[in-house]
Amino acid sequence: MSLLRHVTAPLIANNPVTLQILGICSALAVTTSLATALTMSIALTAVLCASAAIISAIRNHIPASIRLIVQITIVAALVVVIDEFLKAYAFEISGRLSIFVGLIVTNCLVLGRAEGFAMHNPVLPSVLDGLGNGLGYSLILLVVGAIRELLGAGTLFGQSVLRTTAEGGWFEPLGLMALAPSAFFILGLLVWAIRSWWTVQNEAPDFALRTAPEAPRQ
Amino acid sequence: MNPLTLSAAADAAPFLRSRWEPAEVTFAQAAALLPPLAVVLLAGGGAQALLLATSLAVTFFWETLFALLRGRAWSWHGVTTALVVAVMVPAGAPLWQLALALSLGVVLGELIFGGRGFGFLAAGVVALAFLRFSFAAIPFAGDSGAVAMATLPGAALLLYLRLISWRVALAALLGFAAASLATGQPLDPGPTGASLAFGLVFLICDPFGAASTNAGRWLYGALAGGLAVAFDTAPGAAVAPEAIVFAALLASIFAPLLDHAAVLVIARIRRRRHG
Repeated sequence: MSLLRHVTAPLIANNPVTLQILGICSALAVTTSLATALTMSIALTAVLCASAAIISAIRNHIPASIRLIVQITIVAALVVVIDEFLKAYAFEISGRLSIFVGLIVTNCLVLGRAEGFAMHNPVLPSVLDGLGNGLGYSLILLVVGAIRELLGAGTLFGQSVLRTTAEGGWFEPLGLMALAPSAFFILGLLVWAIRSWWTVQNEAPDFALRTAPEAPRQ
Repeated sequence: MNPLTLSAAADAAPFLRSRWEPAEVTFAQAAALLPPLAVVLLAGGGAQALLLATSLAVTFFWETLFALLRGRAWSWHGVTTALVVAVMVPAGAPLWQLALALSLGVVLGELIFGGRGFGFLAAGVVALAFLRFSFAAIPFAGDSGAVAMATLPGAALLLYLRLISWRVALAALLGFAAASLATGQPLDPGPTGASLAFGLVFLICDPFGAASTNAGRWLYGALAGGLAVAFDTAPGAAVAPEAIVFAALLASIFAPLLDHAAVLVIARIRRRRHG
C-alpha cells in the first residue's frame, strides 16, 4: 500500500507543476489544444517511467562525479526513441509539438526525479514515482489545455463544443487564450485555487506585513 | 490595508507618514477623470452610459468580493479603473467582453496582490491590454481632441496635488519626441498631443504603475514614451491608443527594476561620498 503513495502523492499534494513549479516551459508551449497536451503528457510520462527504471537499476554503478552526464544520456536516448515513434505513427501531432518533445531532455522534472529519487531507490518505487509525477504533470497540462482550447477555439479535441461566431454560433473566441501568457494566468489561478483548498502548501511570505501598533490615546 | 492607511494610522517610527487617505486619492483621480468622461458621455449617449454603468458594476463586484473574502475594509479604488476604461472603450463594444476584460484586469492587475498600492501595475492598463489581446475587433477611443482638452484640467489638478509625477510626464514627452525624431515618424504638436494626452496622464502617469524614485521616474517615462513610438504602427502624426496602453504596460513591468537600480546607484554614490 505504501508503494501506491508514490503514485498518488504527486497528483495534487506534491504536484510537480503547481507545487514544485517544474516543467513550466512545456506546460506553456503545448497547451493550446488538448490533443497536443495529451500527446506531450503521454510522451513525458513514458520517458519519466523508463528513465526512472533504467537509472534506478544501474544506480549503484554510476560514478557520482559523472552521474548527471549518464542521466542525461539515458534520458536523451529515450527522448529520441519517443520522438521517432511519434514521427512514425502520429506525424501530424509530432509536427505541432515541433521541438517540445525533443526538449523533454531539458525538462527539469525528468532530471529532478532521476537525481532526486531514482538515484536512491529500488526500481519499483522509482517507476511508480516516475508514473505519479508524470500523471501529476499530465493532470495540470490537460486542465490547462482544456481551458485554453475551449475558450480559445470553442473546441475540445477538435470537436466543436461552443459554436463560434465564424461558424454562425454565438461564441466569440478569446484571442488571448491562443497566446502563451494565458497559460501563465491559468497556471497561476490553478496554484491559487489549489493552495486555497490545501492551505498546507502555502509558503511563509518573504516579507510579512507589519501592522501598525495601536495609536497612543491622547 | 493599503500602505497609505497603515501610514496614516501609525505614529510609530518605522511607518511612513502621508497626508493622504486612500479614498481621498481615489476621489481626486476620479474628479480629474470627470471632464473627459463627460465628453465621451455626450458623444456616445446612452450606449456609453450603459458601458460606464457596466464598468462600475464589475469593479464594485470584485472590490466587494475581495473585501469580504479578505476581511478588509471596502475601498473605492475600482472607480478610477472603471472610469479610465469607460473613456477608452467606445460605445457599442459588447458588454460581456468588456466585463470579462475588466474582471481580469482588476483581479490580476490589482486585487490579487492585495489591493491598490501592493501591486506594480495599473489595473486599467491591464484591463485594456486584456481587451486588446482577446477581442482585437474593439477599437480604442480616448484620442480625440475634445477628450484631450478635457484631460488638461484633470492633469493640472493631479500635478498640483502631486498625485502624478511631472518627471514621468516630462520624461515621457521627451522620450516620445526623441524616439519620433530617431525613427523619422511625423511629429505634429496638434494631432500628436491630442492623441497622447489622455493616455499619458491616466495610463503612463498612473502613480501605482509608474516608478517611485526620481531617477526611476525619468527612466520609466522615457521608456514609456519611446515604447509608444515603437508600438505605433499607424501612419500619420497621431498615436494609436493601443500603442500607449502597451507602452504603459511594458514600462510598468520594468518600473520596479528601474527603481531598484536607482536605489542601488544612489546607495553606492552615498557610500563613496560618506565612506
